[in-house]
Amino acid sequence: MKGRNSGQIRIIEAFLAIFIVFSAVAVSANLTTKSASSTSNGLEAIGMQALLQLDFDGSLAAYIAAGNWSGLRETLNLLLPAGVVFNLTVYDSQMRQVNMETVSNGAFNSQEIALVKYVCTSQSPVFRVYVVYLYLAVAK
Amino acid sequence: MPAISIDTFFACSLMVLLVLSAMTVTAKILQPLISTSTNVEAAQRLSEVARRMLLYAGKPADWGRDELMVPEEFGLAEVGEASPYALDIDKVSRLNSKNIYGLSYAQIFTGLKTPDLSFRIEIKPVFDVRLKLTATSEGSDETTYTFEAATERDDGIQVPTVLRAYVLAESLQRAYEIQNKDGKTSFNVTIPRSLENRAILVVFAKFTYNSRIVSYTVYSFAQSSEKSAFVRLSPLNHTLTLTPTSANIVLENVYAIAHNGVWRLTQNGNVFSIPALVDPCPTVLVVFGLNATQPFVEWAAYPQVPLQVGVDFANLLSLSDVYAYTQLVSIGFGIYKCTILLGGPKT
Repeated sequence: MKGRNSGQIRIIEAFLAIFIVFSAVAVSANLTTKSASSTSNGLEAIGMQALLQLDFDGSLAAYIAAGNWSGLRETLNLLLPAGVVFNLTVYDSQMRQVNMETVSNGAFNSQEIALVKYVCTSQSPVFRVYVVYLYLAVAK
Repeated sequence: MPAISIDTFFACSLMVLLVLSAMTVTAKILQPLISTSTNVEAAQRLSEVARRMLLYAGKPADWGRDELMVPEEFGLAEVGEASPYALDIDKVSRLNSKNIYGLSYAQIFTGLKTPDLSFRIEIKPVFDVRLKLTATSEGSDETTYTFEAATERDDGIQVPTVLRAYVLAESLQRAYEIQNKDGKTSFNVTIPRSLENRAILVVFAKFTYNSRIVSYTVYSFAQSSEKSAFVRLSPLNHTLTLTPTSANIVLENVYAIAHNGVWRLTQNGNVFSIPALVDPCPTVLVVFGLNATQPFVEWAAYPQVPLQVGVDFANLLSLSDVYAYTQLVSIGFGIYKCTILLGGPKT
């Protein structure tokens, strides 16, 4: 009886093996989900480029010190590629928000938002430190 | 044959079949992930190569200034500049093939030290100035030209600017300042009829909200406006070298025009000294001369942008993987857009 059933047991083993193998396949399939970090890294680089260029001659701190938020918004809008939405917030050294006006070119409707943190200093006789938070997303 | 043997054979066959099919399915599922990681690694490598071109000054570091020097290692960064992505005005000018001291593709390729990569470098202003002649009206001794000027990015977004237009014909005729709040405007220029065939219009556009973002364009009223037909202009190290294309060429006046004004350059043979201007605009260099008795006018910008050098990848996309790296750069006091395309073997 025992010997006669051993073939059937192997069939059960085979089905168990199928189950294990396909479980492994199902788990490995989840590994192929696209990494979101590459998109946000690109946005961070783009945002950093724009801030670096604006800080080259102290323009960035000059916009902030003068409260020229529309100028800063228009300049970022020109330097950033089309289809990139941004929102910029400026804090002082005590992390109090400096800009009371929104510096943005649209609403965020993407789940992938990149953040660029940038510290700049004013070149005027009064030394001031500003912390700039630039949020970026791809417009959909 | 006993039943147990048939069952065992059947079970073993089933297992082998299913293991093989599972391996096939797994391989198909994982293949995109494997190739994606390969692509990411290749893109990272090409990105680093492109960044090195912009952040490294090359060897020797001052290769741009010496017209005969070919860099052992290629890099465009300005020496001693505290800010990253500041490019040397002379190294950039030597990328332009119209400059007689320009580097060849082979010289750049050798200096790049990446034998498996072909490349293309494009540098241009952040936005373009487009001029369109819309009307002319002839007076008794003057002609009035009406132009439509548009300042816009490549994607068509219009850019508010302040325009400064200069009309030259042997000497400065007129300067105009035009507000261009919507990115599109029209204006008139008037030229004496006797000077029409050798007049030139140079228009600078400064972005309203940031004076470092500038662009320019040149419009020639002359009938024959083929560039470099009579003389080649090669600005380098704040000097302009003129190379006539024939022995009949007689040089008359040479001017440097910037947003702030016009300067007449002093001659020393065929070499002219360019004033070091604290102006973010490119300096437009204009040469008036005679080819036997025929008047001509030629121009070039310093830095010599816009420029394109290298391989045209438009027809090679099926043969190689092309990576595009776009970066905002500073040249002199101005901000420009630099795109580096790198093509490697198809993966």
